[in-house]
Amino acid sequence: MIECPYCQHRMMEGALFCEECGLSLWEDSQTHVSTRKLEDGNSEFSVKSGWGTATFQDRNQVIIHIRDAAEPVTINPLGEFLMGRKDSSSGIAPDLDLTPHGALEKGVSRMHAMLRKGEEILSIIDLDSANGTYLNGQRLVAHQPRVLRDGDEIRLGRLVLHIYFK
Amino acid sequence: MELVQDYYATLGVPPTASEEDLRTAYRLAARRFHPDVNRSPGAAIIFRDINAAYELLSNRQRRSEYDQVAHAATAPPSLRVETYYSRQFLKPMSEPQLVYALVKITPELEVSLTSDAPMNLCLVLDRSTSMKGPRLQHLKSAVHRIIDECRPQDHLSVVAFSDKAEVLVPAQHPTDPRMIKALVSTMRPDGATAMLQGLREGLRQIERNRDTRYVNHVILITDGRTYGDEEDCLRLARDAHERGVGISGMGIGEDWNDQFLDNLASITGGSSTYIISPNMVSRFLHERIRSLSTAYAERARLITAPATNVDLNSVMRISPNPMALAATPQPIPLGTIDGLSPTSLMLQFHVVTQDAPLGEFYIGRADVSAEVLGSTQRAERIVEDLSITISEDDVDEDPPAELLDALSKLVLYRLQDRAREAIASGNIAEGTRKLEYLATRLFENGQEDLAQAALHEKENVLSTHTLSDEGAKRLKYGTRALLPLLGDGKND
Repeated sequence: MIECPYCQHRMMEGALFCEECGLSLWEDSQTHVSTRKLEDGNSEFSVKSGWGTATFQDRNQVIIHIRDAAEPVTINPLGEFLMGRKDSSSGIAPDLDLTPHGALEKGVSRMHAMLRKGEEILSIIDLDSANGTYLNGQRLVAHQPRVLRDGDEIRLGRLVLHIYFK
Repeated sequence: MELVQDYYATLGVPPTASEEDLRTAYRLAARRFHPDVNRSPGAAIIFRDINAAYELLSNRQRRSEYDQVAHAATAPPSLRVETYYSRQFLKPMSEPQLVYALVKITPELEVSLTSDAPMNLCLVLDRSTSMKGPRLQHLKSAVHRIIDECRPQDHLSVVAFSDKAEVLVPAQHPTDPRMIKALVSTMRPDGATAMLQGLREGLRQIERNRDTRYVNHVILITDGRTYGDEEDCLRLARDAHERGVGISGMGIGEDWNDQFLDNLASITGGSSTYIISPNMVSRFLHERIRSLSTAYAERARLITAPATNVDLNSVMRISPNPMALAATPQPIPLGTIDGLSPTSLMLQFHVVTQDAPLGEFYIGRADVSAEVLGSTQRAERIVEDLSITISEDDVDEDPPAELLDALSKLVLYRLQDRAREAIASGNIAEGTRKLEYLATRLFENGQEDLAQAALHEKENVLSTHTLSDEGAKRLKYGTRALLPLLGDGKND
């Protein structure tokens, strides 16, 4: 038996796609390279047929593509990196303020989710947000870190972000 | 048409085989497909053919007659069947392993790709009240275009139906397009959708010129449900199939019954299509008729059975017009083989390798037959024995790109299908989770519109506990439409 790394569904040896969540279980080095054309105008929905790397080195940067935003955001996560919505009354100032990207209408909480850099990995933690954090379509359990991979899709409420490693 | 069978191929031996070779091959085949040991639906047919082949070839006199007359006269088939496997090497393992086989049917390169065979075509058009307005307008202009595109050798008829059917254009060569168009223009919206009436009259028009040298086909276009006569329609379709007539269905809007139309079409090996908006009618109708007019062979069918220690888990047609094919009854109708784009099927096998010796491992048989049209008109049959290798070694192999492409899209269609099943059985949590997965994968595939539709349906299901008619069709036919775009390069 083999287990889907995404939804933990168990399948027969030889399966090329997860029959539960549709994930490609086949990793091909060639298609892998072609998934990371960040400069392309259309990169937000470039075909990702492989499963991105989970290795995140110290020298790596994170590129966050925010749906409908003109420019991607590049960050150097040192330790923890808060994503949310700035609120001057409570004094909350996230590292990435999503207010300009329609955070309020899209249900982003003030303290929504956190990126945390670990030993050669980058993980995401939902901070018990009102509308939830979704990793590739799957809702995260609050306060439980999940390892991010290059090319993952994150959804904060209804705001969609794509994460790329550089 | 007499289906000439290559008895040597059926037994899996060369024409030079000795009597001893024949006996060995027969015993082996009987062990694989005898109905006592192999319960799969195709096995009985395959076993019957093997028996017939052995009976003839083991008789010295009949064999020599066959060699001199029938076999000598049989040219090699002009249809080519190729199989691509997800893996060629399997390790011995006690648990079952999955093997996909993509079976691709194309005309040989040397032969002319299309037959220019005449079409004997009937358009059966719904003119019920709901067709009023743009639907009927677009339908009429789509039919006008078809009339212009028909060739002198074709036969065309047009039937309109609502509560009852009327023949607008009796079957004829399109020698006077203006007159035919004028007849089509008289169609007015009125009444309900009584499909049986229309279908019956359409098949009657086909019957007037029905000929095995032609592509005999009914295209039914509707926007509604027919009440009480679906079973009778399916019976008509089975009857049509027996007489070599194909049926394709096209649904406009969201109210028609897609499962019914799928059934109706698949009985004959035809196709079914969803037309989201009326202005697309022309394009879809044109495309469907184009592929009929470039037919290379008609009345194709597949007989398939796995070996005794293998399960055939599913059969799916990938192109044209992807759909799941029922493994019973067999033969499985495949309809028309287009000369310009391949017909391909995905078979999914579950294989247990544990007690098998290392080396070649027999998975099963795919027996494809079809009637080649045109001047060289004849029935052809290709027996493809499927096998892989069992090895202890670690073999690093890449699945063929074409198979991988087809599977990556097939998985989307299946997700959609399973979401729909879960929701229909009241399992909302499961259904919405599948829709989310579907949306994610669609985004990854660059299908943003469909992905949004999936997310939209998820919301819809959360509030209403059911899929919308429109959303369900959009996802089904949308994910299905992703499939035939791949592997279009016919010669790799």
